[in-house]
Parts: sequence; C-alpha cells; structure tokens
Amino acid sequence: MLETALYFIQQLLNGLTIGSTYALIAIGYTMVYGIIGMINFAHGEIYMIGTYISFIAISGLIPLLGIEYLPLILIITLAVSMFISSTYGWAIERIAYRPVRGGNRLIALISAIGMSIFLQNYVRIAQGSRDIAMPSLIQGGWSFGPPEGFQASLSYMQLFIFIATFITMGGLTLFIARSRMGRACRAVSEDMKMAGLLGINTNRIISLTFVIGAALAAVAGLLLGLYYGVTNPYIGFIAGLKAFTAAVLGGIGSIPGAMLGGLLLGVTESMTSAYFSSEYKDVVSFGLLILILLFRPTGLLGKPEVEKI
Amino acid sequence: MKKVNKKLLGFSASLMMMGAATLSQAETLKIGLAGPVTGPVAQYGDMQMIGAQMAIAKINEAGGVNGMQLESVIYDDACDPKQAVQVANKIVNDGVRYVVGHLCSSSTQPASDIYEDEGIMMVTAASTSPDITARGYQMIFRTIGLDSHQGPTAGNYIADKVKPTKMAIIHDKQQYGEGIANAVKQTVESKGVNVVMYEGITAGDKDFSSLIAKMQKEGVDFVYYGGYHPELGLILRQSAEKKFTAKFMGPEGVGNKDLSAIAGPASEQLLVTLPPSFDQRPENADLVASFKAKDQDASGAFVLTAYSAVQIMTDAMKKTNSTDTEKMQKAMREMTFKTPTGDIQFDEKGDLKNFDFVVYQWHADGSKTLAE
Repeated sequence: MLETALYFIQQLLNGLTIGSTYALIAIGYTMVYGIIGMINFAHGEIYMIGTYISFIAISGLIPLLGIEYLPLILIITLAVSMFISSTYGWAIERIAYRPVRGGNRLIALISAIGMSIFLQNYVRIAQGSRDIAMPSLIQGGWSFGPPEGFQASLSYMQLFIFIATFITMGGLTLFIARSRMGRACRAVSEDMKMAGLLGINTNRIISLTFVIGAALAAVAGLLLGLYYGVTNPYIGFIAGLKAFTAAVLGGIGSIPGAMLGGLLLGVTESMTSAYFSSEYKDVVSFGLLILILLFRPTGLLGKPEVEKI
Repeated sequence: MKKVNKKLLGFSASLMMMGAATLSQAETLKIGLAGPVTGPVAQYGDMQMIGAQMAIAKINEAGGVNGMQLESVIYDDACDPKQAVQVANKIVNDGVRYVVGHLCSSSTQPASDIYEDEGIMMVTAASTSPDITARGYQMIFRTIGLDSHQGPTAGNYIADKVKPTKMAIIHDKQQYGEGIANAVKQTVESKGVNVVMYEGITAGDKDFSSLIAKMQKEGVDFVYYGGYHPELGLILRQSAEKKFTAKFMGPEGVGNKDLSAIAGPASEQLLVTLPPSFDQRPENADLVASFKAKDQDASGAFVLTAYSAVQIMTDAMKKTNSTDTEKMQKAMREMTFKTPTGDIQFDEKGDLKNFDFVVYQWHADGSKTLAE
C-alpha cells in the first residue's frame, strides 16, 4: 500500500518536473500567438540555443573568471543565457517576421519554419552534431520510504526546477497584469490597430513579446540542460513540438493555459510510462490533445476568438 | 508522376554508369563511403571513414588495383533511412560502383535495395541486423557479425555469469535496437532468467525518470538496453541520480567514448558486447602505428572492419582481374581474405562465416577491459 502510494508520488514529481519546463517553453508560443496570431516555429530552436549558451557559459566563461560559488555561477549563466537568447528572439522577429507581417498568415508560418531549419543547421555547423555533455552541478536529494523497499526521491535539481519555474511564471504574470508594458501587451493582443491609434508603439510591443518568450526559453534551456546534462542541435524540435502541444492543450493565447497545459502534458506522459508502457506515452498524450480539441476546440483555458468588426 | 521519375532516374543512372565505366579505365576507381558524417551517431561514421580511407591510402601506396588508383567519395546519410535512400540514388547517379557502408542498420536496409538493383557492390562494416542479408541479395556483404550472434553472446553471458534475479530489457524501437533486444530476450528466457520488463522508449527522448522509477519498483537488478549511446548515457546518468544501482549491458552501438562523457562515473555500471579489439592483434601493430601517425584512433569498433571492407573488394578485383561486380561477388563467396580482422570467408548470404563478439566492462574514462 505504502509502496503504491510512494510510487504514485514519485511519478507525479517526475511528471511535474518535465511538465514545468514544457510550460516555460509553451509560454513563448502562447504569447506570440496571443498578440500577433502567429505560431513561432523557431521558438524550440531558441530553447536549444539557450542550452548551448548555458553550457558554454558554465564550462568556458565561469572557469575563466575563476568563480566557484554555485549560486553565483547559476545567476551569471542565467543572465548571459537570457540576454543572448533574447537577442536571438529579437533578431528573428526583425529579420524573418516583421517584413512579412502585413501579408497572408501562411507566409509568416513558412518564414518561421525556414528560420527553425536555419537555426538548427547553423548550430550544427558551429558546434558539431554530437551530443555535448556536462557533469551535474546540483547533486543529491531527499528520499522517502522504507530503506529496503521502494523509495520515492526528490532531487535538489528537481526542486530547483520547480522553484525557478514558479518564480519565473509568477514574475511574468505580475508583469503582464500590473506593469505599464504589460498593459500595453494586453491592449495590443486585444486589438492591434486600435492600440496603435491610441499611441502604443505596437512594433515595440511585438519585439518585447519575442524577447520575453526567448528569455523564458533560455531559462528552460538552462534548467533542462542542467537536469539532463546533455544537448545537441536537434533537441529544439521535439521540445518545441511538446511545448506547442502544451500551449494548444491549455488554450493557445492564454498564459495560465500554457502553464496548465505543460503540467498536464508532463504528468500524462509520466503516468502513461508508469502504469502502461513508455512506448505509448506519446500516443496517449497526443490522443489526449485530440480529445480535448474535439470537445473544447479552444483548449482548456482558451477564450473563443471573437470576430472583430 | 513517381513512375516517370523512377524511369528517368534509372535511365540517367545507366547513362552515368556507362560514362563512369569508360572513364575509370583511365582514371580512378571510386569507392563510396556512406554513413553518418553528421547527426547524433556521427562518431561511428568517423570510425568507418578513417578505417576505409586508411585502406585506400595503403592500397594506393602499394600501386593500386590492376593499375588503377582508388579514390574515396564520402556520402552523409546522418543515420536517417530517408536520407540513406537519397544517398544511394546519388551514388547511382555519380557512377560509383563500390560502397563501404551504410552504418545504421535502418539506413543500410533501404539503401541496399537500390544497390542490389543497380549491381553496385555494398560492404557494410557496421550494420548488424540479420534482415539485411536475409533477402537473397547478391551484392550485399558485411565484415561484421550479426545481432543474431551478438544477442546470444550477451544472453549467455547474462545467464551464466551475471545470473540476475529480475531482469529488464529496454530498446529504442528501431530496427537495430529492437532486433538485438529480442535476440537477447530469447536467449536469456531459454536459460530460465526471469525477465520482468520488456519496454520500448523513443529515440531522442531526454527524460527517463518514469522508466527508472518503474524499474526500481519492480526490483530490477540487471538491465539490457538495445539501442545507441545517447539514450543509454542518459538512462545511466539519471539512474545514478535516482540511486538505481542495477548493472547495465548494451550492444556495440553504445560502446563509445561519448557514452562516458554523458554518463560520467555511472558508465562503470555498464557491460558492452563489442567486436574483439582487432587493434590489439600483434599482426596489426604496423597498421595501428600508421593510424597513430595520422593522429587517428584505431581502437574504434568499426575502424578495422571498414579497412577489411575495402580490402576484400580490392582483393576480389585482383583475383578476377576485373572491376565487374557480378564476377567479384561470385569470387568473394569462394575466397579466403587475409585482413586485419583475421582470415575471413563469406557464406552464401554474404555474412562472415565466423565472427565472435566479446563482452567488455566499460569505464568512466571511455576505456574498456575484458569482462571476466
């Protein structure tokens, strides 16, 4: 009985860990969609670039500066990674999306897919296609349960992922709800033309959206990079697909939806592996997506799109 | 639409081949080296490339074959079955008639269909799936053993030496991984080992925490993994973090230094079945020194098998005094070749008559020692 409960708790924790990072990436998709109604397929690649920058910063920059205090290492890496990834996010918008924004939505979509392929190959050429590995920085954790039977465990790394994710998401929610820029974001999302007429610089707000999305992807890049300890130029594609699914599941365009969708997807995957078979985890999670879209086409927390006249 | 394309392709291909055949009399004999130059398993491709290129260099130094020099042409299939088919078509179009490759069984399989149809000779130095030579093809050879040999080697070792009480078998759902996992499963079950889990994972996944928790709950004390090193490296690493202390074992697809880079100290938990270390044979001392002189490592599992792959083709050319693949393949089934991987002979299917895999203990620094 105890063992069954511990096993369930363990799988729940595993699912929440992976789910919270899906959620971080999903926010990038959902924010861009919420504001300009476009799916930024290059977003997964930003996450991949984020892992590379974190790895480079940790293994190159930090020894150069001679820092050994772990929290400081993490803060510097996070700052560097968020800054550079945001620059990528901003540049992608300027180069690939802004010039085609007025046209058909499909053009922007193709441009995004092209950008994604470009970034993947650019990193492949620059960094090589092999897996790059890094030793774990945050080790250890707690175990619960009888010493001879099954023990549930929570590693410090997992806890760090939860805390970092919730702080980041809380910060973002506050920013959108309370700040002047956040209010402008919401206004542009509601009606871009009207917001422009009322004196909001819509181009700047759209750039800001990309920058925020990229910064969150960089946070996810650092967290998952540290957690798994490996990266390669292809991880962005699958992570992007999963995060996109999470965003759609929660209702694309809705920030709380992306969080909920990410966690739900992570827990579903983990539970499928736990009680069924890991072969079918993608089948079940994408099956769930189809079911939800059949019965709630706008996703869990999405609002139906009102035709603006 | 498709049909027209195929016909056109075939037509232009035969034109090109005629062109190449006449050219090669005067110029060089092209040998295509097909395998992953990019992608997550590119290091295995490197092993194959350096081995084959060394053979080509040595043979050219010794005066070439029948008065002609050899030339290598590299093709990248990224271990992707779709790209492998494109590569095979490109090889046909380029008029290359001898191929060393491909590397991943799932790439070799579709590509070999094209080579067989076009009369191009293909020798793989790394693909171990039995299906590849099970179709009665004439042009397809290999200088490495089969999963159906490797599986029993691993299975017997597990059943006789390790004697696990509860064993799990995990594979990556690809032709190579699942094939070998099945072969191991059959062997250990016939010897009465208790297999409590048999599960597939998705290649490219990064999170195996659920799978590991499941193995912990089942009380698994030994795990066989069929697949490649990127996933197994992560499984080992995450197992160590979760204090899951079972021993692991994998096929030659996991045995390379990158595994140790990913898994770190956890790689001490691993046993690997590999082709014997041909570079340790005393006969090969000079050859290994030539690799060292070029700053290359001859100890990779596929380096000397690729060397042999080139050599058997050129030996067959010398023996038949022709470059006709049809004559060559007939001769190859009768000859005995003296190669760095030993004296080898081929059976009717194009497989080696004897090839033994050996069990090694893997180490955290990427080295290996014979397991007792």
